[in-house]
Amino acid sequence: MVLTFIDTTGAKVLAALDTAGDFATLAGRTFAAIFKRPFDGKNLLNQFQAVGVHSLPVVILTSVAVSMVFAVQLAFGFRQFQAEGLASQVEGLAIVRELGPVITGLMLSGRIGSAMAAELGTMQVTEQIDALECLATDPIHYLFVPRFLASLVVVPLLTVVSIYVGFWGGYMILVGVEGQSAYVYSHEFYKLLAFRDLRIALYKGLVFGMIIALVGCWKGYRTQGGAEGVGNAPTSSVVTSSLWILISDFFLTKLLLV
Amino acid sequence: MALIDVVNLSKAFGPKVVLSNVNLQVQEGESLVVLGGSGTGKTVLLRNIMGLLTPDSGHVAIEGKIIAQLTRKELFQVRQSIGMCFQMAALFDSMTVFENVAFGLRRHLEITEDEVQARVEECLSMVGMKGTDKLKPAELSGGMKRRVGFARAIALKPKILLFDEPTTGLDPVMTDVIGRVILDLKHELGVTTITITHDLKSAFEIADRIALLFRGECIACEPPAAFKANPHPVIQQFLRGDAEGPFLQDPPPPKRRHQEAQA
Repeated sequence: MVLTFIDTTGAKVLAALDTAGDFATLAGRTFAAIFKRPFDGKNLLNQFQAVGVHSLPVVILTSVAVSMVFAVQLAFGFRQFQAEGLASQVEGLAIVRELGPVITGLMLSGRIGSAMAAELGTMQVTEQIDALECLATDPIHYLFVPRFLASLVVVPLLTVVSIYVGFWGGYMILVGVEGQSAYVYSHEFYKLLAFRDLRIALYKGLVFGMIIALVGCWKGYRTQGGAEGVGNAPTSSVVTSSLWILISDFFLTKLLLV
Repeated sequence: MALIDVVNLSKAFGPKVVLSNVNLQVQEGESLVVLGGSGTGKTVLLRNIMGLLTPDSGHVAIEGKIIAQLTRKELFQVRQSIGMCFQMAALFDSMTVFENVAFGLRRHLEITEDEVQARVEECLSMVGMKGTDKLKPAELSGGMKRRVGFARAIALKPKILLFDEPTTGLDPVMTDVIGRVILDLKHELGVTTITITHDLKSAFEIADRIALLFRGECIACEPPAAFKANPHPVIQQFLRGDAEGPFLQDPPPPKRRHQEAQA
């Protein structure tokens, strides 16, 4: 009984270490492959379009929705204490420090991370990745690097878009519905913020971009088992990257804010 | 020295031994056909030759270079001299036929776009697929996909061509077309080929030698006439295409004959 428990636990720990080691190896190979030739500009531009341009609507819509809901909650909450003026300050703080980067990261893990896992997973089960190998092309260089670089650039940029849109989402509620002065809202939104907060948001976007691309590509690359495997890869990618986005958000906040 | 030298190659996946001490030598310009039932390790043999799998023991050497001992850069150099044609073609489905065939040329050769265009057209006409360059793989039939796969494999002018079940799942006419294309490529390019197939008609047309894999072991490797005359019961059963005999470990019961005998 005890031996079986130890045996099972040991096997699980070894399997977890094996998975972590595999991810670390592929991530390391991706970093190393960034500077390898040939440079495929067309492939990179395609990824910028897929990762960036096509993700704009979803980022804008979610940022508007979340910032408006948050503004409604803040207006209601602060009204209890006759402190409505604080709503715009807290709105600014929340959007720039947390909601902008995290909502963007989570939405993009669902949009682009899952797409990467599904695309690479399909390529894996249809032997297209083997075909790349046979054509003397490193799949890490050809598939991982453009997606990684595109995410690295695009996620911080979309974080900025999310913050900007979040400002206007709050504006619509606090100025348009709650009747605050537009000048006061615009002024108060930035009152508690420093340039450092925007920098932290960009760092978070950078790290989230890395997580989304690496996890999405890794899950796709390791797909096995035909249609079922391809179906599981995006789900697994979204769950894993979302989890790591939230965990890394805590540590980044703790590390960078102090 | 053989161009392709498979020495005591063994490969297992968990407890299942797929290849066991397989020895094969293929000389330059020779055409070897590998026959065998499903799951006897034919594809695993090709994947070991390409370096997509690592042998458990033994080795594969191409021009004397042991594949498993090469660095990644050296392996890619060797792979540029081998064209691999996959069972289901494995065309890049996000690219057109032209882009598929041009892929290796654009990545490995410093040639102009006009030269790429000319080479792609040459390769497509060799496999009878001229005029399809703007189509996507999804718009092609199974046989057309295989031929585009062949065109992609020959684009870099390889010394060796590997065909993994090129006729599986095709109708008899298309099977014959594919067999002829392989034969034409062999004669026009003078390449060394290893073909895995279940189609005995094209196997006897293509082969200089035929090998039969049975339960992970190579039980024969000889010229077509000698192979046909080989009295080994497994070979004779395979050639007859009969369910009864030592070929299957667990053959299905002969229901119909049994019922007929009873009647």
